[in-house]
Amino acid sequence: MGGRSRAAAQFLAGQGFDKVYNLNGGIAAWQGLKAFGPAEMGMVTLRGNETPQEVIVLAYGMEQGLADFYSRVCAMTRDLEVREILGKLARIEEKHKDKLFALYQTLEPGTRERTLFEKKIVSGVMEGGFTGEEFLEKNKPLLDTVENLLHLAMTLEAQALDLYTRYAQKAEDVQSRSVLHDIAEEEKGHLATLGGLLEARA
Amino acid sequence: MKWMQFLTPVAGMDTEDARAYLREHKEGTYTLLDVRQPSEYEKGHIPGAKLIPLPELAGRLGELDSQKPVIAY
Repeated sequence: MGGRSRAAAQFLAGQGFDKVYNLNGGIAAWQGLKAFGPAEMGMVTLRGNETPQEVIVLAYGMEQGLADFYSRVCAMTRDLEVREILGKLARIEEKHKDKLFALYQTLEPGTRERTLFEKKIVSGVMEGGFTGEEFLEKNKPLLDTVENLLHLAMTLEAQALDLYTRYAQKAEDVQSRSVLHDIAEEEKGHLATLGGLLEARA
Repeated sequence: MKWMQFLTPVAGMDTEDARAYLREHKEGTYTLLDVRQPSEYEKGHIPGAKLIPLPELAGRLGELDSQKPVIAY
């Protein structure tokens, strides 16, 4: 499973580590077994000079993706404990969306209608990303067990953490920085929760 | 579900290249980083790997030398 290490490598690179490599195929490849990483998904490479508004739009799309992902996964598993936690995580991502919209409004005071704001998100995300059906179809082999679902969720959370911490460092006004830090902190908590779930199942 | 993944480019290293790298470079000049969970690490890991589970990475950056190359798995 290369997703988590790729996210880790990405995070370290963003934190100023000079040379970071992701071992292709992870330990499975190392042991000579056939490995399959997550299918390449619709990707958007960050330019690094996005405006705060652009970052919020990206982040909002990501939160929406995370929330939807958790809800879907929740529907796929019967494990009550896992369901409860995934439901909780999905609700927190919804709260992040509220925070991000509020932050956007402080930067763009003219924005009143959330539905109009969301239209911007949807079109942006749809251009570069897959729809859920395509994503799930492509990643079917990775979504067959709760463990694999947890791996994938951790990969996504680490990427969210990466996005927020890097942009918090760059954010010029104190309020934006503090909102981004708060959200990053909660994503960190999510990672810990997911790691704990994975560990508990081992 | 609307989907996108945000990636900053990160170089990949193939197993063969990694083996060669570890052979040719002295211990202590690089970090081999295992970001899986402790239970996965226990079942098997690459010799010499340092374990920092992904959830702990952000809080334990101080344990890593940013000047040294990192190979993560």
